[in-house]
Amino acid sequence: MEDNRNQYRIIRMLTGGVTPALLAAALLGYALNRFGQLDPAAQAAGICRELIAGTTEGRQALFGSCWAAPLPVLFYLPFSWLLPEPLAGPAAFWLSWFFVFWSVRESVKSAGHYLFRIIMAQIAIAAVAVLALNQEVLQIDTALTVGLLLLCASSLSDWVACRRLRDVVSSAAACAFLALCGFSVLGVACISAVLLPIAAAGHRETRRRFQAWLLLGWLPLVYMLGVWMLLNRLILGDALFFLRSLRFLVSETRLFMPSLALPAAVMLPALALTWRLDSRAEKPGAGVVAASATLLSFALMLIVYSKVFAWFGISWADTALYACALSVMIVTVARLRQPLYRSCLSLVIIVWLSGTWFKRDEQTGDDDVRVKVIGEVETYVQARTPYGRVFALGYTGLDLLRGYEGSLMVPNLDLHIGSLRMDYKGQDLYVLIPNPEDRVRSESVFWKYPDIYDLGADRLLYAGTFGTWRLFQVVSAPTQEQLDEWRRLRN
Amino acid sequence: MTNPTILQEKHPNGSSVPLASVSSIDPLELANKRPDWSASQPVTAAQKKTVLLLCIALLLAVVLAPLKTACLFIALCTLFYTTSTLYKFAVIRASISPSAILSFSEQQIADQEPREWPVFSILVPMYKEPETLSQMVNALSELDYPNDKKDVQFLLEEDDALTLDAAQAMAMPASFRVTVIPQSFPRTKPKACNIGLSLAKGEYLVIYDAEDLPEKDQLKKAVMAFEVSAPDVVCVQSRLNYYNSGHNIITRWFTAEYSAWFDLQLPGLAALGAVIPLGGTSNHFKTRILQALMGWDAYNVTEDCDLGVRLGRAGYRTRMLETTTWEEACCDLRFWIRQRTRWQKGYIQTWFVHMRRPLKLLKELGVVNFFHYQMLIGGVTFSVLINPFFWAMALVWFIFRPAGVAALFPGPVFAAGAFCLFLGNFVFVYINLLGCCKRKKDSLMWWSLLTPVYWVMMSYSGWRAFIQFFRDPFVWEKTQHGLSGKA
Repeated sequence: MEDNRNQYRIIRMLTGGVTPALLAAALLGYALNRFGQLDPAAQAAGICRELIAGTTEGRQALFGSCWAAPLPVLFYLPFSWLLPEPLAGPAAFWLSWFFVFWSVRESVKSAGHYLFRIIMAQIAIAAVAVLALNQEVLQIDTALTVGLLLLCASSLSDWVACRRLRDVVSSAAACAFLALCGFSVLGVACISAVLLPIAAAGHRETRRRFQAWLLLGWLPLVYMLGVWMLLNRLILGDALFFLRSLRFLVSETRLFMPSLALPAAVMLPALALTWRLDSRAEKPGAGVVAASATLLSFALMLIVYSKVFAWFGISWADTALYACALSVMIVTVARLRQPLYRSCLSLVIIVWLSGTWFKRDEQTGDDDVRVKVIGEVETYVQARTPYGRVFALGYTGLDLLRGYEGSLMVPNLDLHIGSLRMDYKGQDLYVLIPNPEDRVRSESVFWKYPDIYDLGADRLLYAGTFGTWRLFQVVSAPTQEQLDEWRRLRN
Repeated sequence: MTNPTILQEKHPNGSSVPLASVSSIDPLELANKRPDWSASQPVTAAQKKTVLLLCIALLLAVVLAPLKTACLFIALCTLFYTTSTLYKFAVIRASISPSAILSFSEQQIADQEPREWPVFSILVPMYKEPETLSQMVNALSELDYPNDKKDVQFLLEEDDALTLDAAQAMAMPASFRVTVIPQSFPRTKPKACNIGLSLAKGEYLVIYDAEDLPEKDQLKKAVMAFEVSAPDVVCVQSRLNYYNSGHNIITRWFTAEYSAWFDLQLPGLAALGAVIPLGGTSNHFKTRILQALMGWDAYNVTEDCDLGVRLGRAGYRTRMLETTTWEEACCDLRFWIRQRTRWQKGYIQTWFVHMRRPLKLLKELGVVNFFHYQMLIGGVTFSVLINPFFWAMALVWFIFRPAGVAALFPGPVFAAGAFCLFLGNFVFVYINLLGCCKRKKDSLMWWSLLTPVYWVMMSYSGWRAFIQFFRDPFVWEKTQHGLSGKA
């Protein structure tokens, strides 16, 4: 008995601590070697900088977009606060990937497998991250999404198999956190939460307690979304501010919203199987076959989601969804009761296939581009006025100003030209607008002023192009003090 | 069935006085022999000086740098809230561990027979509760345990003629007796229990309240629990719950709270090997060890919580037992507040008693258990005291959104505060839901969503307790039972 316990402790330490730590470190080493400068929390770092400074922009940025979701930012904040910039990124990277490998252990362990199968699955996921050759896969928000999605999917399948209270709780909690990881997985989180009580309706014993599963399964997600909306109302004056970008991103919004529920159809056969097996069972629980079917359907649902997003032109959601789908497949294979060599072979095939799934990117040298743009804009503005102020718009602006020490340029999340003129009376104001491509299209400035990049807006006069950014001057009448000063200078 | 043996004799002048055997017992042994472990002196001189110095420092800081002081205070409170939320997570997660609770099936109990069961002492302290006496006698008689191995003592106060008369008039099994507690200061339940403990004959001992309905196989399960546990396990705590949960909204909230506490949090703490603040009843002890520890602190109004800490300090452990004792939830708001005030005052007493020599406590409990102690005993009280300020601030911010409130939450503090708002409050509500679900009391789950209102009641009682701790530290606000019928 004591021997078994000791053996269990050793395996737990190995699979839940040692291998995740080593694999995360190895991945970190690979990423540093491959991409030179590692930037695993590009957007989060900019937001954290403002949050630590206690600015309104930081608060707005934390909650203001479903595409730059709060969880990765809150995760990165302690690192950004406690560690200097060159260390914060790698430390956050290591911990986020440690979490992924720990989640793999939790997901495989519940099927009653230990050591080899867990380590195999962990290595397979590390291999996928390496073969992807894609910086986005290595971002902390992708890692957090993958980890939470694994917990969500495996808990749901455990709930299907055994009907343990802990499974409904962990799945519901994972769903709620997943919803805070961004819009690309919000639909998945909602469908998983919906499935929790429905999956339990097959057996007469658990069917009677539908309201309990409903409350436990849905409440965390509903609450999280409720608080997110409340904070949007309080900080940005609009409860749905974080979702408004969808109208600009997708031309057919009426078609897009129902399409988000479409992938749920993939889960229906697994659900039917669960009900059938469950209704025949003496005790609640549909068993391992239904659990495996649920996991596989889950992976399929993620792929369908990526296709739905791609149809509507939101292609940047692909990477996280593919990474999640592959991870769920790997966990499904590792959980299956089959000879070890067959599991290994299946995993090798999945990893090999994954090499073709991701768009490959090379070293970008983002930092150099940022410094160049900032330098050029500063030179341009300072040559024209000593009272200049440049507002770099949106999350992209926050990212641009990372590490910026000057006072000329400030970030702005929620553009109100009238308010800027009032707040910065007497100064010469400029707005710096990013190119609305890919993810940048989701910035609030583009759903407020759809043509701003090409045509400017009321009181905005084109000043110049710097890299992919465009600078516009805010036209306003000079104040009496400015007129007096100019007169004095002229005389 | 006979009339009970009553440990008292008639004085020549006609009044009832305790037997010499009872009056020779020192129920205040702990306070007399180990005053440093007793709440007989609620706050020591050194503690008073420390509190005074802290108050002066705080006052100076408020005068010299009010904004910075407020920011620092809020930052510390936010840190506490964050730690507390994560701590709850950890405890609840631990509650699913197989070692969280000792459980025995009916078959396992049946397999024990035939066997010789040890003598089990049962203490039932009562005061002015004649109406619950017959219910208690029936419940104890029906316990599935050999009658000759039950050593039941009803502990009745000398001046409680009503209950004494009712006891005298009632037919009880031979192993039941009544012990009359002499009138003396303080008149508390633990003082009565100490006398009962001295007269206990059993190898094991348990306390039940007057209105308790323990599950029939509880004593056998307790014996088996001690037998399968390590020698350092000297106490097993049964789960408590309420039979009148549906009476009104207070009993519903109370049941939800108890379900979460006894079915999730205490098992979680047991699994983590933490110091456990014992529940007031249905805790089973090894009698000799309890006697060696000098029983309960007669001056502490939550003597159970204090005893849990003392067990930890002495190097012993407590485990949870899967069996339930059904109690009556207080259904009247006034009495609920009085009961909660007493509990919270007791927590404050306990915290001050054991924090007299913090380093010694740290050495005895170890770092991890010291942290548990601070979170469970100090943290619970601290949170009910500071909660109203933060609710008020959140409300002001929600409604008026003044710039002043935002200035009190610098960047990282704002983020941590958002985390607590996002998660902290929710975790506490969700734990109650979970407790109800585990208890299969699904109808209470919807009511649990209104738990924040219950927190307001707790904070009110918390402040009442805090003030009472300094004014009347030993006042025992007794809970009135029998206000609602059995469900």
